[in-house]
Amino acid sequence: MIGLIRAELTKFRSVRGWLIGCGIAAVLMVLLAVVAAAGTDARVGGPGARGALPRASDGTPVLDGFTFLQQPLDGDGTLTVRVPSLTGVALRPPTPGDSVPDEQEQATPEPWAKAGLIIKAGTTSGSAYTAVMVTGSHGVRMQHDFIHDLAGPTDARWLRLVRSGGTVTAYASSDGAAWTTVGSAPLATGAMSAGIFVATPPHQEYEQFLGGTSVIGGGAIATGTFDNLTAAGIGAGGDWNLVSVGADDSPNRPESTSTRNGDTFVLRGGGDIAPVDGGTGPKLEQLLSGGFMALTVLAVLGVLFVTTEFRRGMVRTTFAATPSRVRVLAAKSVVLGAVTFAVGLVASTAALLVGTAIRGSNHYPADALTQVRIVVGTAALIAVATVLALAIGTILRRGAGAVAAVVVLITLPYILSAAAVLPAATADWVLRITPAAAFAVQQTVPEWPQVDQAYTPAFGFFPLPAWGGFAVLCGWTAVALVIAAALLRRRDA
Amino acid sequence: MTAALYAEWTKLRTVAGPFWLVALAAVLTTALSAAAAGAVTCAGAGCGVDAPMVALTGVQLGQAVVAVLAVMVVGDEYRTGMIRTTLAATPSRAVLLGAKSVVVAGATLAAAVPGVLGAWLAGRLIMPGRGFTAAHGYAPLSLTDGGTLRAFAGAALYLTLVALLSLGIAAAVRDAPTGVGVVLGVLYLAPILVAVVSDPDWERRLRQIMPSDAGSAILHTIDLPALPIGPWPGLGVLALWSAGALLLGGLLLRLRDA
Amino acid sequence: MEATIEVNDLRKAYGSTVALDGMTFTVAPGRVTAFVGPNGAGKSTTMRVVLGLDRVDAGTALVGGRPYRSLRTPLRHVGALLDASALHPARSGRDHLLWQAHSQGLRGQRVDEVLKLTGLADVGRRRAGGYSLGMRQRLGVAGALLGDPPVLMLDEPFNGLDPEGIRWMRGFLRALAAEGRAVLVSSHLMSELQDTAGHLVVVGRGKVVADTSVADLIAAASSDRVTLRTVARTEAMTALARVGATVAVTERDTLTVDGLPADRVVTVLSEAGVPFSEIAAHRATLEEAYMELTKDAVEFRATEVAR
Repeated sequence: MIGLIRAELTKFRSVRGWLIGCGIAAVLMVLLAVVAAAGTDARVGGPGARGALPRASDGTPVLDGFTFLQQPLDGDGTLTVRVPSLTGVALRPPTPGDSVPDEQEQATPEPWAKAGLIIKAGTTSGSAYTAVMVTGSHGVRMQHDFIHDLAGPTDARWLRLVRSGGTVTAYASSDGAAWTTVGSAPLATGAMSAGIFVATPPHQEYEQFLGGTSVIGGGAIATGTFDNLTAAGIGAGGDWNLVSVGADDSPNRPESTSTRNGDTFVLRGGGDIAPVDGGTGPKLEQLLSGGFMALTVLAVLGVLFVTTEFRRGMVRTTFAATPSRVRVLAAKSVVLGAVTFAVGLVASTAALLVGTAIRGSNHYPADALTQVRIVVGTAALIAVATVLALAIGTILRRGAGAVAAVVVLITLPYILSAAAVLPAATADWVLRITPAAAFAVQQTVPEWPQVDQAYTPAFGFFPLPAWGGFAVLCGWTAVALVIAAALLRRRDA
Repeated sequence: MTAALYAEWTKLRTVAGPFWLVALAAVLTTALSAAAAGAVTCAGAGCGVDAPMVALTGVQLGQAVVAVLAVMVVGDEYRTGMIRTTLAATPSRAVLLGAKSVVVAGATLAAAVPGVLGAWLAGRLIMPGRGFTAAHGYAPLSLTDGGTLRAFAGAALYLTLVALLSLGIAAAVRDAPTGVGVVLGVLYLAPILVAVVSDPDWERRLRQIMPSDAGSAILHTIDLPALPIGPWPGLGVLALWSAGALLLGGLLLRLRDA
Repeated sequence: MEATIEVNDLRKAYGSTVALDGMTFTVAPGRVTAFVGPNGAGKSTTMRVVLGLDRVDAGTALVGGRPYRSLRTPLRHVGALLDASALHPARSGRDHLLWQAHSQGLRGQRVDEVLKLTGLADVGRRRAGGYSLGMRQRLGVAGALLGDPPVLMLDEPFNGLDPEGIRWMRGFLRALAAEGRAVLVSSHLMSELQDTAGHLVVVGRGKVVADTSVADLIAAASSDRVTLRTVARTEAMTALARVGATVAVTERDTLTVDGLPADRVVTVLSEAGVPFSEIAAHRATLEEAYMELTKDAVEFRATEVAR
């Protein structure tokens, strides 16, 4: 087998056009990275362009802005409140001369409007916290460190936070008597702020139509009503103090207000405590979009690697030298896969480096491990796709048809899905079953259950996890190889 | 020219390949269109969906088959070495490429017209059941409607121009698989580029000059002023690409040894 | 129009490799001109240049006085067979001829005529991909004859033919020439053209080494060589050497005499009273004459390189 692999490697490298093809693939990939980087609009800007955003403990950029009615809490304590009502509604775009934006009629409340209890290390944006809240349509949640989200009962209106030593535990109840534990999280000891809060992310509507997507966004305002507020451990006689946390983060945020009527508090305000929405800004993987071009070029090579043998009758020489045709196919696959993986690796690395050099880090952050995953994943995707091309070339024995089949199988589903031609649900299915699923290896933006955004291919979200999508491509390739091997054995050379 | 045309037509009809490709292009164009028509819904009035364009989604797939068809017309001759016999019989490269263009355009129309009509029929039958009803502001797709007619006739022209672009590229690269790779690379590049370029000026310019994007402007029937390029000028851009490719192919055919 | 091919000072280089280095010759009507030379001598390139397929760096190639690319129905002027296997395997032989006929404004009737002429009438409707090499050669010849051209140019038409086919091809070429056509046939096997070619263009390394009639070439190569069979070997050698001939012993009773014509040898031997049983003027084969010529070409190149 080693001899066979060396023979195929010699065949590959002795055709100058194929080596040039490898070079063209790499150059195209870098070229597209340059275009993608240079064509990034700084005004649309990602998290970087919005100034220094606070980060969660794992580095995820987060939003931390909300309306906070608080008092100091220096040690252990227990807060309890009932939230009889929470509404979150979108605001009409402000018209000139209007000081107060209109609230729009809205049938369903903003799904992630939040109102509840929070204990936070001070009132600066980005500080550690633990909170329990009712939401617009996601029931009671306990959240901490921005990225952690635990679901509680859906119909509870009573909330309780208990701070004890370095731990905060959240409870929920529908009647204020029988309490269920939602969860607990560590929180440093020492002086903190504690109280009630409201927040709601901006109103967003994602519309996907042929040839594009639109994100209709606008300010939103949450109105939370609180009563039965008790706060054990907070200095007696202290005044509840309104703070608009992180007021500068989002300029369209409505003003925070608080009114007290006896024991009933009404808080109004916008903002959110959650990871930022990564779907709309620049993303790191856009620098690797040249993978399509590289893949197309290398797929041509993969097809030619086998069809030229049939065309010239050289295949008879090959089979005379190695009567086991399956071994020949295996050797060809190994050589082609290895060579194109190497080309892909060099090209992806170069594309990422060059693109980043031009664009800077103005994109949704990706840690080192993610960067390695998208580079290696892209190279692996290109390699396996090229082997798929080889298998289809063997099956069809017609170069032109095989190239078209490969490109149509891999690129067209991606275009139809990601360029928002297909509706999101259909696009998701297309990207589950076609080889284009493998482009999931390039996704850098995580999906957050506690953030409402369009997790659709058009915004860079794939329905399958990275290696799951890659497995789909591998499955296609394996099936194609098996068919190719069977046909090779059966057909006359 | 007439004789060369007759010869090219004889060549095309005496092998089975082109016939099957014509049939495949028509079937796939209709099939994907029907699938897209079945996948799209219109929830209410003003859902903003360009119904004729949805019904023409299959063009995205049909163009790949049409490209193969056109590339093969040249690529097969180079593969077999028959190009020398052809050039010995018709020494004028311009006449030869002209004859091939006419035959390829004819074959493509033979695929595109039934394919597009099938797409229209699929859209007309399927889409009303998906919410594209009079209540939501959609009349059944009708070819007597000016915009709809433009989109469907334009789709056939679009496919024809893609075939001519492919023919020119094939004459330039002289190898069928490479030709298909280049054509599909050029056609499918635009949507990918547009997806990653966020600068609106860049995006607009790309949509104005890339052959598939500009060319598909002809498929739009609503929001025309918002398009980066109008339907007919867009198709014109694609025509320029096709003419450029044919010119390049013809020039190389003239300058290079056969 | 005149039935000629005129090739004048063709020069062509692929990078540093010189393919044509001043190729000049004329093919006249009414005879078969053999175009011979070792592989890589420039025969096929010259033919492609004549057909306007390849461009040259310098020089002209004219068919009937006109450049090929200026002909409107070229197959009516020149019929060519370059590569018999250059056809679409899925197309039938008849259809392969049909499209060529249509390109010249000819009708299908003519296709059936040439199919019959080349003995392919029965197999014309079969896939050309299934043809043997010999059948493809016949199909190629049929294509060359489609336009009933005054000039024919065939590249290695004997390739792949069985002995029967070779005989057919020879007779066919002679008959075509006898009709007054100019026939140029390339080959690297001289023996194939022994009884067919009337004229010879021998090429080596991109230029003409010899341009001569076959009779002249053989006469020149044969020179004055006589084979002599005699029992009195020593006496004969002495007598012949005395009048200046070069004598070599080839067999026990056979001598080869160079430098004297046969009748002089008879006179000398008779005068000296040497008995002999057989005397024959040696006639070189075309193959020998050709080898003689190309050997020179090779040696010439070798010295050129050494310099």
